[in-house]
Amino acid sequence: MKLPSLLWLGSLVAFLLGPLDLQAGEGRTEKPSLPAEPLFSRHIVPLFSRLGCNAGTCHGTVPGKNGFRLSLFGADPGLDHSRLLREFGGRRLNFTSPEQSLLVLKATGQVPHEGGKRMAVGSPEHTALLGWIAKGAPLDPLDKSRMAGLQVSPRQQTLKPGERYRLQVRATFSDGSQEDVTSLCTFESRDGSVVMVDREGQVQAVGPGGAALLARFRGQPAVSRVVVPAEAKAAFPEVKEHNFIDKQVLDQLRRLNIHPSDVCDDATFLRRATLDVRGALPTPDEIRSFVADQDPTKRAKKIDELLARPGHAALWATKFSDLLRPQFREDNRVWAEAAYQRRFYEWLRARFLENTPYDEFVERILLATSMEGKTKEELLQNLQQMAEEDAARSPHLKAYQERRTLDLYWLRANSNGVQGTIQFAHAFLGLRMQCAQCHRHPTDVWQQDDLLSFANFFNRVGRQREGTVPPAEKAKQAEEIKKLQEQAKKLRDQAKDKSLAKDDADKLLAEAADVDKKAGMMNRFNYLRSSFTHVDHSPKGQFVAIDTPLGKAASKEFRLLASQTPVSLPAEKDPREVVLAWLRQPDNPFFARAIVNRVWAHYFGRGIVDPPDDLSPLNPPTHPELLDELSRGFIESKYDLKWLHRAVLNSRTYQQSAQANASNRADRVNYARFAVRRLPAEVVVDAINHATASAETFPEISHLPAGTKAIEVPGMTNFNRDGSGAMSAASLDYAFQLFGRSKRQVSSQCDCDTGSESSLVQSLYLASYGDVLKKLNAPTGRVARLVKDIPDENQRIEEAFLWVLARFPTAGERQKFQAFLKEAKSPEDGTREILWVLLNAHEFLLNR
Amino acid sequence: MLSGCLDFHTQYRLHRRQFLKVGGSGLFGLSWAVMHKAEALAAQAQTKRQAKQLVILWCNGGLGHLDCFDPKPDAPDTIRSPWPVAQTKVPGMVLGERVGSLARVADKITLLRSCNAKGYPQEGQHGIPAAWAFLTGTRRDTRERQPNIPQSPLYGNAMAHFRFGPGDVPPNVILGSARSHDSFLGVACDPMEIKVNDPSDKLKQMLAPPRDLLELDTLERRRSLLESVNDQLRQLDAADDLIGGLDEFKQKAFDLLRSPKLREAVDLKREDPKSAERYGRADTGQRVLTARRLIEAGVPCVFVDIPGGWDWHGGSNLDRAAGDLKALGDSAAALIEDLDARGLLKSTIIMIGSEMGHTPKINRPGFGREHWNDAQSFLLAGGGLAGGTVIGATDKVGAYVTNQHYNATSLARTIYGQLGIDPDHELYTADRRPVKLVPDDAAVIKEAIG
Repeated sequence: MKLPSLLWLGSLVAFLLGPLDLQAGEGRTEKPSLPAEPLFSRHIVPLFSRLGCNAGTCHGTVPGKNGFRLSLFGADPGLDHSRLLREFGGRRLNFTSPEQSLLVLKATGQVPHEGGKRMAVGSPEHTALLGWIAKGAPLDPLDKSRMAGLQVSPRQQTLKPGERYRLQVRATFSDGSQEDVTSLCTFESRDGSVVMVDREGQVQAVGPGGAALLARFRGQPAVSRVVVPAEAKAAFPEVKEHNFIDKQVLDQLRRLNIHPSDVCDDATFLRRATLDVRGALPTPDEIRSFVADQDPTKRAKKIDELLARPGHAALWATKFSDLLRPQFREDNRVWAEAAYQRRFYEWLRARFLENTPYDEFVERILLATSMEGKTKEELLQNLQQMAEEDAARSPHLKAYQERRTLDLYWLRANSNGVQGTIQFAHAFLGLRMQCAQCHRHPTDVWQQDDLLSFANFFNRVGRQREGTVPPAEKAKQAEEIKKLQEQAKKLRDQAKDKSLAKDDADKLLAEAADVDKKAGMMNRFNYLRSSFTHVDHSPKGQFVAIDTPLGKAASKEFRLLASQTPVSLPAEKDPREVVLAWLRQPDNPFFARAIVNRVWAHYFGRGIVDPPDDLSPLNPPTHPELLDELSRGFIESKYDLKWLHRAVLNSRTYQQSAQANASNRADRVNYARFAVRRLPAEVVVDAINHATASAETFPEISHLPAGTKAIEVPGMTNFNRDGSGAMSAASLDYAFQLFGRSKRQVSSQCDCDTGSESSLVQSLYLASYGDVLKKLNAPTGRVARLVKDIPDENQRIEEAFLWVLARFPTAGERQKFQAFLKEAKSPEDGTREILWVLLNAHEFLLNR
Repeated sequence: MLSGCLDFHTQYRLHRRQFLKVGGSGLFGLSWAVMHKAEALAAQAQTKRQAKQLVILWCNGGLGHLDCFDPKPDAPDTIRSPWPVAQTKVPGMVLGERVGSLARVADKITLLRSCNAKGYPQEGQHGIPAAWAFLTGTRRDTRERQPNIPQSPLYGNAMAHFRFGPGDVPPNVILGSARSHDSFLGVACDPMEIKVNDPSDKLKQMLAPPRDLLELDTLERRRSLLESVNDQLRQLDAADDLIGGLDEFKQKAFDLLRSPKLREAVDLKREDPKSAERYGRADTGQRVLTARRLIEAGVPCVFVDIPGGWDWHGGSNLDRAAGDLKALGDSAAALIEDLDARGLLKSTIIMIGSEMGHTPKINRPGFGREHWNDAQSFLLAGGGLAGGTVIGATDKVGAYVTNQHYNATSLARTIYGQLGIDPDHELYTADRRPVKLVPDDAAVIKEAIG
């Protein structure tokens, strides 16, 4: 059953590499027909799929519907056949008068059918079904009808709005035969504003744009692309390409006759890039000097400068924390979890600061072990260092940062086996495999066996809790800690002596604090040693098995995704190494693409494949050549992420204005203008603090010094299990909730759990939430500073605009704001109101 | 035309969040608002909307049916409620004396004595699928085990999604706190949580910020200045979905702040003390009274977490249960009367329910009952539902349903039906599985429909 799932790969590659043939193909117009003698697995089961009978909301659901159950999406024709024939006393089919078969009567709505009328009497489907029943409803040899290929023609088509043509789909089967299966396919247009396709494969162009059409037959996809150029009202403007990205994007725009917007102004560029690269707003000084700079290469220079700032590493450590979800089950104690999350984040941040090549970055996660070749002494030394950092509540976690590998990845909840594989595939391959746990993926090509055989690579990671403290030593340590605590108490008691000089008492107290710290450190060291969990390859690992509502399944072979041949592996070999080697193959269809596409989505709000975590062949890219070129370039750069960021940021496409022109107003997918996005939760908080000259404060338990930026907060912000405020960074926590910071729980895998929507409470928050208003009213805040430092109203207005919106006010705005200030009760009131207005402007929440 | 089962990846391939995000290709280029309207129309296409608003009085735990809506005065005293019964004008409608105030509105209420979640996953336990089924209509809710997987919508989330209510009030409000209230419909449909008695409630604070921090009478002045900045943006990116959404929400936030409607609705000092008194004990009464005021203000769905200890384990719950039941009965009766007097009962559904029933057998030495899932009662009123009706019955001891059995799915289909929302409307989960608003089939409770 594993063969068919791989067919799409060939067609995908052929599709991506094929020459761009944009001539109108000869349009088929005759209606497709069904064979006179249909075969069950080849024709009847696909017919059920096409009619929707075996979908998850109908008879494909686990208990079936009204006693009739089909395998979901027709995955098991043999089982479907036996259910049709044998269940329900065989009354579903009537061989003497096929038209009286319950199956037929229900599907045609002649007897009441909850699913409604699915086909008409006399339709080709009806005739085919009757023909098959009349022949005695035979089950054909399944071996001969497995899928070997699926081609749709024409593969490329250019047409004008209103023009029509018909798609033709041919299937190749395992016995070598070919057949026109158009009438058994389902069709889908990926962009209904460009092109529509009906159930017969009849295509009609709707409006200008480029779109993909998908034809599906028995779960296999075939893709056809359509280009509908807009009417050329004016000549395509002369546009200067900055790099290869622009060539690809502009080529597509030229084909479509959609004109790109102009390049944005300097202030807009600076705000946009600063927000996107380091998650912050530029300062007024930065804006002024950038705008005044006459150097023609200043944007490229600024990009390099921003990429070198620590905020860039913090932003990507945050993004990868969202992606990898450091949720630990190792210990229920909240502080332990917080410590793990901190180390996890800090390790990521260190790698982004070093700009570790991405393949090496993934290697150091995928192949992580706890010992990583260290001796036991070295390990203990490392733990000791961590204990010292913890006891000192140090925000710097060098001891873990400097480890080569991220063993905490494998200590996250559900990080191995099938669940861990789904996580890995989501994070590093950009694939969504959840559905394949139970059944063939409905909107993808994966079969259950693909997932299970891949999961075997991830099922030999041992995670063993092996405390490194011998019991005798433990007792001794406990005694020592007790002694230290007593000593501290004694010192404190001594300090209480009224007759002591204040200096001496303080000295005693300081001494007591030192002793306490020592005890705390020992305690922590003991804890780290006794809870030490060893992550390593374990030759004893089992093969995966899964128990789902649809039944049990298991795989006993190692098979990489998109490969047909199992890999044989000696027990002592760590299977993760095979996965790594596969990731590093330049022709790996997912690895480089996934990160390239995610980085692209970070800068443009949508992936070249979108959603960015769905690199499914059923979800074709909008710019396949561009995705290829970016991936190739990224691999050639030795997986240098900064190369990738630079390429995108320097492109004209990124530097385009968001302002629409007459021809690109409706465009969303061709990058004819910059797409506006809402700022992420962390960036919103930091921007509020930047604008109001405020800082967050944190509870001691977080180990974060006051003023830490939201983008640098490693893990949780609420350390109370019950959600009460005492131990939480309450204000920050509320903002994260409202603006949708990722919850980072391993139970769901979707890039979409990071919020980018707007909501009513968000608007209320900026307008009237106490903590935000307090920031505006703070005596040392921006308002107070502006009033004190800048008496000139016009200048003060300009400064306020620069701090909050990072742009200069327009002439009209200056006028209105000045008039507003004149009417204010006092300069303080007026300035506060102005800052409030700017904070509540739509723009403030947007990157544009 | 594609089938309902097939069309999800055609029409809804993009997850809602992607859709709302700018840069998403949009549904055939439809604007954000048009999309919502389309959804609302689709939902209403099938049934006529009888009710426009919904109040849920929810007892987190079990509402002892033998002690309020299904008393068995002739049962032995190991079973019989410790409190007497209250007769009503409606034949067969006997109430527990503790909720006897409801006898005043007997002709307006329907007692559903035969509804439960028997056979649903983990029936009879708190916060597991069976308990959530009464609030979501699905038996597959896993929010308590998997708190971060967005689940099916609660009634209020769905009503927000289908755009109930006027623009200047939030569509979905929770008074007190729900164990969980989000759904895969996203944050825009999540309820606003208001803690009626808590002066530090974040939302109440935001609605009425301290005067020294923000003077609400300066809002108008600020707003016109703000518009001049936003106009600039609108000219630049007029067609933008995200900006459209911001326009709507910012407008609404302003309306909430400027219009006294919501602020006054949650400010009980404005209520006539005499009328407030009719709502009974402070904590419960204040919440239910606030619910009435919110319904008057036009809020489509108000979920009231009825205070009290609705878990009656052990044998010393007599006083607590007596007080809680009385508070529930008094406040609910006043709510029904007041909504009726204001002409709002016709268009407002009231539902009283709980996660589970309670065992017939009484725990001694004092009084207590354990979880029980074979029988449980609901009270329904208003919104075009029948009044003065008792549906279904249990056996002599209130242990098992004897006739007209309905499950939680039936209840959901009935309520959604009255609200004019098609329970078979297909929604899409975060991982893009199509799921019906009420996934399973079950008969509508015809006897409950007026």
